[in-house]
Amino acid sequence: MRAETSMSGASGTIMAAEQPVHVKLRGVYKTYNSKRGDIHALDNINLDIREGEFLSLLGPSGCGKSTLLRCLAGLEKISGGGVQVHGKDIDGPPENMGIVFQRDMLLDWRTVLENVLLPLEFRRLPKQEYIEPALKLLETFGLRRSADRYPWELSGGMRQRAAICRALLDDPSLLLMDEPFGALDAITRDNLNIELQRIWTQTNKTILFITHSINEAILLSSRVAVMARDPGRIEEIVEIDLPRPRTLAMRESPDFIRYSAHVRAIFERLGTFIG
Amino acid sequence: MTTQTPAQQPETSREDGSFLRWWKQSSRLRFFLVFSILVLTAWEWLCSVTGVRPYIFPAPSQVFKELINDPQWLAAHTAYSVSATLIAFAISVVLGLILSVGIVYSRLLDRTLFTTLVATNAIPKVAIAPLFVLWIGTDIESKVLIAVLVSIFPMVVDSVVGLRSVDPGMLDLARTYRGTALQMFWKIRFPNALPSIFAGMKVAISLSLVGTIVGEFVGSNWGLGFVILQSQGQYNTPRVFAAILVLSILGTLMFQIVDMIERRAMPWHVSHRNRHDED
Repeated sequence: MRAETSMSGASGTIMAAEQPVHVKLRGVYKTYNSKRGDIHALDNINLDIREGEFLSLLGPSGCGKSTLLRCLAGLEKISGGGVQVHGKDIDGPPENMGIVFQRDMLLDWRTVLENVLLPLEFRRLPKQEYIEPALKLLETFGLRRSADRYPWELSGGMRQRAAICRALLDDPSLLLMDEPFGALDAITRDNLNIELQRIWTQTNKTILFITHSINEAILLSSRVAVMARDPGRIEEIVEIDLPRPRTLAMRESPDFIRYSAHVRAIFERLGTFIG
Repeated sequence: MTTQTPAQQPETSREDGSFLRWWKQSSRLRFFLVFSILVLTAWEWLCSVTGVRPYIFPAPSQVFKELINDPQWLAAHTAYSVSATLIAFAISVVLGLILSVGIVYSRLLDRTLFTTLVATNAIPKVAIAPLFVLWIGTDIESKVLIAVLVSIFPMVVDSVVGLRSVDPGMLDLARTYRGTALQMFWKIRFPNALPSIFAGMKVAISLSLVGTIVGEFVGSNWGLGFVILQSQGQYNTPRVFAAILVLSILGTLMFQIVDMIERRAMPWHVSHRNRHDED
């Protein structure tokens, strides 16, 4: 079953299990010091994220999923264990990585285009060469005509699209997304889910996606890592074997419901109730 | 319904005179002018009806006469006060920014300098102004120094708040680009602080003028502060009023210039988003 080719067979996408490991987490351990004593945020996390895989971290708030992403992004130091990207231990943020947060983090004083070009300025890359690709990217996200507008002139969904463009500009092989659609309304969220799937199938990026929506995780992912809290840990990894491209209507299909019931059962067993 | 569209065009578009269009668009200024004329007329009328003596309370016409009596003399004193104010303002802005960057990045400076500033600010500047005149004389330097002392505090306080109030998520984002501390300052922290910095500048420009006048009161042979004191000594109250009028126009003008620079510098900012509809 694991070796099956996926339904979008035209491009010859192979199931994740045959791909080389992109990110390897081994015995990752993280504690915070606080006034009430040490907080055990992550406990013995072992996870292989394979190249071109769409992996979701799903769990209730406080289960350490954001912490895990931040450790992987090099924004926080781990207290034990190791994080490897392409077989090398990371020291700080890995190269060739894009990141999208729940809040768009667009700079108010820059236009959409200037915001998308921001990473290049930090990396001291020639901006002129990237203007065309940036505009093309904005085009695919329906933002071409908003390129010279300021963030405040845009809706929440458009802003988050711009943030995704910013993360994709340098064509990173690894994309980290920390509840990117969590603050959006349901309809915008659905649309962006479908857009994200399209980007992923077209570009074969490795995506680590954080969400607390069971449906969103199942709809998008090749695998869902279900997390539990106190201490934060991965409880189970569920492989989602639904055909691609997945549609919003699929959420009512028996297979989809079977997956969501399965995930829900895990949370119920753990005593966590989640939407 | 389509025939209605041309009729709904504003009539101003047909007017050729640009003055007329400007007059119709700048409702705030128009309101102010009408209001001023009403107040001045009432004031003039009250003065003539009550027969109050000019040295107690002059009528607008007397103040105006004093204003144009010796324009060069008044202009020279005005120029002196303006110079002192602008020099002090420039020093406050530059020094204030440097100090606030130091305070934001250094714990030691935060605990020493910032506390000292707060303590210094608690002293009424009028009380220590005579000391400066004693130490550095009655020339322009003492006015500038007093004005800087008065105006640097809001500059530092507002800039520190602005530089500190950066969203940590923005800095995280910059860190994933492996940005240097200098890049983070110029690309994120500083532009993010601009609204607060300009708020500080607006207070600082007004306080610089106040500080300059205080300095001139304490010891000077020049400036509008000197004009006020001298005229008061001569019971020339219309001239005192004339000097105050010039001061108030100066203060408004300088504030407006900073406001204009602010708009140019931050077209994105919340406070400017809908203003053009109103002006």
